Amino acid sequence: MQFKRLISALLALTAVPTLALADSSSRVALVPGGPHPYFAAWEQAGADAAKKFGLGSADYKVPQKWELGLQNQMLESLVTLGYNAFLIFPGDPVGTVAIADELADTGAPVIALAGCLKDPSKAVFCMGTDTGNSAYLGTKELLKELGSGAKIAHFTGFLVDPNTQLRIDAVNKAAAEGGAEVIQVIADIDAPEPAEEKINAYLAAHAKDVDGIITTAWVPAVVASSALRKIGDKRIKMVGIDHDEVVLKAIKDGFVHGTMLQNPYGQGYIGSYVADRLRSGCKVKADAPFKSNALTDKFIDSGTVFAGVNDVENYVGSMQSITNTLFEGFESTYLDC
Amino acid sequence: MSRRIWENDWFGPLLVVVVAVAIVGALNPSFLSPFNIQILLLAISVNAMIAFSQMIIIAIGQMNLSVGAIGGLAAIAFGGMMEVWGIPWPIAAFLALALGLVAGLANGVLVAFTGISAFVITLATLSAYKGVNLGITEAQPFYEIPATVKALGNETFLHPLPWLIIPCVVVALLLWYLLNRLPLGRSILAVGGNEHAAELSGISVRGIVITAHAVSGLLAALAGIMLVGRLQLGQPTIGDDWLILSFAAPVIGGAILSGGHVSVAGTFLGVAIVAIFTQVLVLFNIDPFLVQVVLGVLILWAVGINRFREVRAQRHAEQVAT
Repeated sequence: MQFKRLISALLALTAVPTLALADSSSRVALVPGGPHPYFAAWEQAGADAAKKFGLGSADYKVPQKWELGLQNQMLESLVTLGYNAFLIFPGDPVGTVAIADELADTGAPVIALAGCLKDPSKAVFCMGTDTGNSAYLGTKELLKELGSGAKIAHFTGFLVDPNTQLRIDAVNKAAAEGGAEVIQVIADIDAPEPAEEKINAYLAAHAKDVDGIITTAWVPAVVASSALRKIGDKRIKMVGIDHDEVVLKAIKDGFVHGTMLQNPYGQGYIGSYVADRLRSGCKVKADAPFKSNALTDKFIDSGTVFAGVNDVENYVGSMQSITNTLFEGFESTYLDC
Repeated sequence: MSRRIWENDWFGPLLVVVVAVAIVGALNPSFLSPFNIQILLLAISVNAMIAFSQMIIIAIGQMNLSVGAIGGLAAIAFGGMMEVWGIPWPIAAFLALALGLVAGLANGVLVAFTGISAFVITLATLSAYKGVNLGITEAQPFYEIPATVKALGNETFLHPLPWLIIPCVVVALLLWYLLNRLPLGRSILAVGGNEHAAELSGISVRGIVITAHAVSGLLAALAGIMLVGRLQLGQPTIGDDWLILSFAAPVIGGAILSGGHVSVAGTFLGVAIVAIFTQVLVLFNIDPFLVQVVLGVLILWAVGINRFREVRAQRHAEQVAT
């Protein structure tokens, strides 16, 4: 499986020099909002970070469903199980603040990972993809191929995800700047059945009316790639997101123009390391150069990069490169140790 | 006494389907293009199986919240057996169906012998089956799906009729025959209509409950397998979205939630209505945030009709009694 290839290649990251000895009592929990393939790389990232930096453990713990209450319960039970550092994808940017603050009050460093908490919160920072920027850059890449006057469709994720609106706005902005028109947004399709039904229905009726497709969520990217292959249409250009095998193969075969890679492995790997450093006494610099987004003023972009047909074979290298760059300067940029 | 045609459960939904197809087809001719009909039939084929899986439980006056979890488990078992163990797809499909049957049997046995409501039991097993699914997959899809399975899930045998419509039609006919012609089907409806009376008339209520849940599990597994073919991968999230549809379609099709009355044709048409509405929202570029509202209204409409039927049936029964 390509995912295993990704993981084994990313293991090379362990060659990155350790900057200081770690506190072996650190037990880091990496907790996504629910099951989703995007987060699967966190498991290996935590395990690699634990091995490399001598952490007590860095374990990937998945709530069974995308449900805030379930995630909160899991976080509480992890405290009683002895976990003392938390990397959390917030089930809700506002709703998760209370439990994050509760965890922080126990002395555990809390980092919002892959998605941010709404300020104010006691999370030390938020590290994730700048989703708006990724959608913006992806649309720009698409328009490079299509030129101005293009008509594009945007397929995106859950409406409850605050990133969805950011992505819709960013795609609209890039389209307006490039003289293109977003003729349809289909949202709430980050699950296979609705994605299959709606994307295929859309293409059946409107394939001739659309020049390009931008997808900004995992499942829509997979389903749209398959749908374009199914109808055999290479006229419609598409830019996807993430590194699912289906998308990468569609790029190789010319059905998809490219994909915006995110960096979940780097988030988990660097996040685990930083959580341990914070437990060892490091502090976040008062003048750390955090970015701002709609939710927080303590945002660190974990990176995103476009991978077209020439980059697909070496997409792992592209992701390694993002992670290495971020890791190398992280401590000196953001921490006082 | 023979019924007039408009008194049948399926007549109302059929009318809605015909009118909707005529209006949408006139406003957007691509709706009736062969490719779009194929897409619509693909959606209906799988969704009908999901709805039938719930319908058989509604027939006994219960509900099965674990329909999606069983379907998802069967789907990833089907994909996993082919990818990890290299099992040929017909055997993998058979084993996945068996898994669904066993999961449904477990539901039935627990409901029948504990006396706990099916709602609670299937809520618990939903969690258990989903947990097994995630334990096996770790939220990662199985990608290595044989070309034959992919073809069966996406291609047509007679354009625009997809292969998936065949199991759907066969199951619909079998269910119709079961519920309308076989003593077992009559017993299922009798248990749903009045469990106590059914027991007094010599029907094994426990046996019927177990059988209905087993059939439900089997159909959910079949839906999961069909979806693997359609999606061309074994996604762990298969089934997560089934619950609303599984209730909405039978109710639109004339089923009474308290049991004893379901319609196979009505359920099939209920699925068609939901599929057409879903397509319409996309074809006419309805605001994505409004899509949720429209679906909510559709479900409220279905529940309202259901309540109207229940009241009407109750009044009719009272009139007969007096």
